[in-house]
Amino acid sequence: MKILIAEDELALQQSIATYLQRDGNICEVASDYKDTAYKVDLYDYDIIILDINLVTGSGLDILKVLKEEKKNAGVLIISANNSLDDKLEGLDLGADDYLTKPFHLAELNSRIKAILRRGKFGGDETITFNEIEINTRSRTAYISDKSIALTRKEYDLLLFFVTNKGRILSKEIIAEHLWGDHSDLVDNFDFIYVHINNLRKKMTSKGAKYIKTAYGSGYKFMED
Amino acid sequence: MVINLWKIKLSEKNNKIRLIQKSSRTFLVTSALLMVLSTVVLFFYVKSLLQTEVEEELFSTEARIETALLENKPLYTLPPVVEIVEVVDLEAQILKDTLIYDPSQDELEEFRELSSFKKVNGQNYKITVRSLVVESDDILIAVVVSYVIIIVLVFLVLFYFNRAWSKKLWSPFFANLEQMKKFSLSTETPMQLVDSDILEFSELNKEVMQLTNKVKTDYKNLKQFTEDVSHELQNPLAIIQAKVENIINGDGLNEVQFEHLTSIQKDIQRLTQMNKRLTLLTKIENNQFVKVKKVNIAKNMGETIQNFQEISSTKINYSDKEDIHVQMDPYLAEILCNNLISNAIKYSPEEGKIEVRTSGNTLSISNQGPKALEKPENLYSRFYRESETTKSTGLGLAIINRICELYRFEISYHFKENHHIFSITF
Repeated sequence: MKILIAEDELALQQSIATYLQRDGNICEVASDYKDTAYKVDLYDYDIIILDINLVTGSGLDILKVLKEEKKNAGVLIISANNSLDDKLEGLDLGADDYLTKPFHLAELNSRIKAILRRGKFGGDETITFNEIEINTRSRTAYISDKSIALTRKEYDLLLFFVTNKGRILSKEIIAEHLWGDHSDLVDNFDFIYVHINNLRKKMTSKGAKYIKTAYGSGYKFMED
Repeated sequence: MVINLWKIKLSEKNNKIRLIQKSSRTFLVTSALLMVLSTVVLFFYVKSLLQTEVEEELFSTEARIETALLENKPLYTLPPVVEIVEVVDLEAQILKDTLIYDPSQDELEEFRELSSFKKVNGQNYKITVRSLVVESDDILIAVVVSYVIIIVLVFLVLFYFNRAWSKKLWSPFFANLEQMKKFSLSTETPMQLVDSDILEFSELNKEVMQLTNKVKTDYKNLKQFTEDVSHELQNPLAIIQAKVENIINGDGLNEVQFEHLTSIQKDIQRLTQMNKRLTLLTKIENNQFVKVKKVNIAKNMGETIQNFQEISSTKINYSDKEDIHVQMDPYLAEILCNNLISNAIKYSPEEGKIEVRTSGNTLSISNQGPKALEKPENLYSRFYRESETTKSTGLGLAIINRICELYRFEISYHFKENHHIFSITF
């Protein structure tokens, strides 16, 4: 996967690149408006991670250029501005998703995968991991072709695990992914244990073996 | 504290008197005093004037009688007005008041009496002349009465004229006072003060304008500062968070280090939440939520409760569920419900129960608690927390309060039978 990271905060830009490169993605970086416009014009990317407030110009203008040139890249906007208007304008101009800083890299990764699925398969795709199959349109999961009944949160959790396979997910990251702003209410994280245990039970031993604990309190979804 | 202050202010207001009333009252008191005083002075002045006149007359009559005696003219006496008696010894002249019985009126009359002893042509006489005082008293009364009538008339005219004039004179002042009462930091439009040709009023206007402009600028700068800080914080937070995540996914980490790193993640999240809420507060204060739609609070509440039941073990019981339709920003309605419920959950004891009701026009939420808040007046202040143990940003209720202020909903808190109860009347 070829990804362009257009972000003027170099430390953030590098961190994102490091994280995404682990999955074997090719990451290119751009640090200002001119650089971004140049690279977007010259090369094709699968995904562009676009900061709206680039030092020398607005990311929204890059979106306009992409639209004019009918480039087929998926665009994920990252912005320090949590305003609904910005979000709507960005999405209107053809961006696929919007994340407000600060965000978890696992969350970013998850969103990128969702954009790729939507872009390539028109919203209907099956993610397969060994015996596990997830249909993202009907929001259903199968283990060895047998459907398992998951609640909304259990399905979200499974999808989050699968899209971030091989990564260590702390309870904080999982809580924020599942409950967003309300996750600060989750004091003892008992709820995550409950949800993960339920998910493990439903996935039977065939599926549950992939969910592993890491460092005592974190989780990692990976091959046996 | 706040309530006490408010009471003091109220009683102060009761002791206050209106400017026009005050000046009218002063005018009334001084005029009445002057009237009484001038009447008294006039009375005595006229009285002494009349007395001098009477005495001059007595002396001149006496002189005429003496001349008549000298010329041996035939003399007549006319008691009690003129009496001439031959006496042996000469005595000093006497001038006095005396009472003499008047048979025609059948009463004692007051007279002014002059008795002189004169030696005329070798014979000693006592000449007594008298004049009725009553006459002069009548004149005195007539003068004083007409004076009082004139002065009362003048007084009345002056009083009403003065009041009307004061009202006109002070009218720019009163108009501006009303404007100042309406002054609000959050409105963008400057105050419309009425200019006046009176120098002091004009100066007052200028000073007030300068002051309010300064306050407004300061407020705006402060707001801008908050906005800038929360905005600028987001990039460093994003960097820290991304780096922590990269470290977690790196090699050679032990469990203790992992614990530390996840704890950092938690704190980043707290900072992020605080930041988001501060930004939200600023946005509400900036009136950036202008979208108004018909919102059913009861329906919103139902959805919110459902969401929270997924995360919290605290039982939430929702009763009545009567629809409350409100015109407001749907996003703010959602925030309002979220913050009310999350606040109740945060301050509920473990295994506590939360009661939510929507009935009539009122939404009420109650959660258990051991004792009433110590300082309920601080409840809606930013960063106010009754207990340090609860991990909250201290902004939730401030946001609720701001939203209620924005749409003029009435919010109240009370403590009853070990329950904290918040009610909002829409």
